[in-house]
Formats: sequence, C-alpha cells, structure tokens
Amino acid sequence: MRAAIIGAGAVGARAARQLTATPDVGSLVIRDADEERARTVAAAMGPPAEADGGSGAEGLDVDVAVVTTPAGGHAELARRLLEAGAHVVSVSDDIDDVRGLLALDAEARERDRCVLAGAGFSPGMSCLLAAHAAARFDEVDEIHVARAGTGGPACARQHHQALAGHALDWRDGAWSRRMGGSGRELCWFPEPVRGRDCYRAALPDGLLLVPAFPGVERVTARLAANRRDRLSARLPMLRRPHPEGRVGAVRVEVRGRRGSTRDVVVLGAVDLPAVAAGAVAAVTAVEAAAGRCTSPGAAGLARSCDVLPVLTELARRGVRAAAFEGSRTD
Amino acid sequence: MARLIRRMALAVGAAGLVAAVLRLRGKGGTPPTGGGWRELTGPDLR
Repeated sequence: MRAAIIGAGAVGARAARQLTATPDVGSLVIRDADEERARTVAAAMGPPAEADGGSGAEGLDVDVAVVTTPAGGHAELARRLLEAGAHVVSVSDDIDDVRGLLALDAEARERDRCVLAGAGFSPGMSCLLAAHAAARFDEVDEIHVARAGTGGPACARQHHQALAGHALDWRDGAWSRRMGGSGRELCWFPEPVRGRDCYRAALPDGLLLVPAFPGVERVTARLAANRRDRLSARLPMLRRPHPEGRVGAVRVEVRGRRGSTRDVVVLGAVDLPAVAAGAVAAVTAVEAAAGRCTSPGAAGLARSCDVLPVLTELARRGVRAAAFEGSRTD
Repeated sequence: MARLIRRMALAVGAAGLVAAVLRLRGKGGTPPTGGGWRELTGPDLR
C-alpha cells in the first residue's frame, strides 16, 4: 500500500507514526508547505517514510492520501487527489471544508474512490462512537456531540474561530444557525477531563452525522470553552497557541428507541487530540486503501466505515472508547 | 383589576398543571446522572 501525508504538523506527524507502524504500508510520502519540517518528520519516522519535496497533490501516485494541513482548501486538494486516483482522508473540522468534501461525492463514486471527511478526533472518533451507540437502537432520535481540548496550533486557531462562528443545529428536519458561544451545557467527559462547560460553535459534526442517520430529529455539536475563550473569540488570538494542547476528550450522547422504550447511550474517548486524530486518520486511511469502506463516495466515518473493526484497531493502538454507565433516575 | 388577577392566576395554574403532567408522564429519556465511565472492551466491540 502506498500512502501519503500532506501536512506534517501535530496531527500529520502522529498519522505518519501510525502509518509507518502499519505492516501493509509499503511506502509513505510526507509533504508539507515547509519542506524542512516534512524532511524532519520523515527522518524521525524512518523507512518507509520519505519526504519527496513535492507540494500538494502534484505528481503524487499513491493509493491513499491523508490531508492534515490546517483548515481551508481541503476540498480542492481532495479533488486533485481524486484525479490522481487516490482515496482521500481529511481531518479538517472546518464547516466549509467538510461541505466541499461532501460535494465531491459524485466524482468519488465515478472514480470508485472514497473521500473520508472529518476523520480526526472530533469529527472522526465522535462519528465512530455515534455509529457504535446508534447500533444499540431501533431508531435514533437525537445525537449530541461535545468535545474538549485542541491538538496543535492550527487546531487551536480553528477552536478560536469556531466559537466566533455560527453553529449548525439539526432540528426536526432542518438546519438552524445559532450563535457560537451560546447554549451553555455542562458535559461530563471521561477522566481526567471530567465536567466542562460546552457551547455551540461552528463545528461540522452535524453535516456528517445527519446523512448517516436518516430520520434523526436533532443533532448538535458543542465545544468546551471557558469565559476567556468566549470573550476573546471575536478578537484576534491574544497569544500564540501552544505547540500541543493538553489531554482532550469527546463525548457522544445518542437518544433513541429500542423496542417500545426510549433510552440514552453515552460514549466517550479521552486522549491527546492530535494523537487520537492521527490514529483515526491512519486507521481509516488503511481501511480505505484496502477497499474496506462500505461504499465509494464522500461521507463521514459513521457512514463510510465498518465501525467495529475500526474501533477495535484504534483500541489496539491505544485510542480507547468508554461508555458512561449511570444509574437511571426515572 | 380583580378580573386581571383571576385570569393571571388561572393562566399560571393551567401552566403549572401542564408542566406537572409533562414532568410526571413525559418520556424524554432522562440521561444518566450518576455512575462512571467504563472502558469498552472485547464484548462491547463485537
């Protein structure tokens, strides 16, 4: 299997580590706008990783490409990669990127290739958890996603912008735009993150989850933030983001009907967001290249992947999911 | 004035009655409020 990683930042380096450790991967090309960084990452990984000095999709001949560049331009890059005959895995959590990637569905089907949109921690792991939880229901009514923490600096900038943007909530068969930073909700994540206030934000999870669960009535996504984050969201970032964020988490609450009863399943995962995103991107890239996606086209992981093998492989690689087991109050 | 107060009391009472019925009979699927997280292991992933 020939793979490529475009973008050698915090997530790209982790995805490269995971792909290098995958026996099926015979060659791994690493590219970055900063050639020196691509060479450094490739040298740190060792064979089969190599930096070829190219940029974007130019002259790339691979089975699968993982796009881990900062948000923006993923759709155009994915289109070029499709033209080059590669499956595409994107980790972008930008709404415009995800919309653009999903719009490549017809082209991907025509070329018999997969475009996996939102294949990071959230969206990504969150979509896998939603699909896994949904399998326990006869009918899914609501899906609520929350995430805490950021990966590298690009992820921190995206977090900052998301709080200043407009959230997309799916409600009764229609999208509603809500102000980012509104709708505070206390969400409980797995240890050690625990309880965090989460707010609406410009997150693409709904765009990926709604097509995967026809008939779902409500889908929302929230982002953990503090008062300073909310206050400064509409200003330029006051200070340079950290090279790597602290431990983060995702939490997915699925409500639905099982037989004649209604129930709630809450699943979550905790890890360094860049590490988890890199692992999800790498594992799903291998699935795509091996022809194990459910069908060609552009979709999120809840619709395009066989969830159980992916979650099992992620657990083997150290990205473990957890279930919240609470006592019922009704 | 007395009629206004009577109408307000009636409206509040009716709203309270509806809220009580919904609270007692509603099936919103109360989310878990206690307990803890358990790692998904082999049987959970089959």
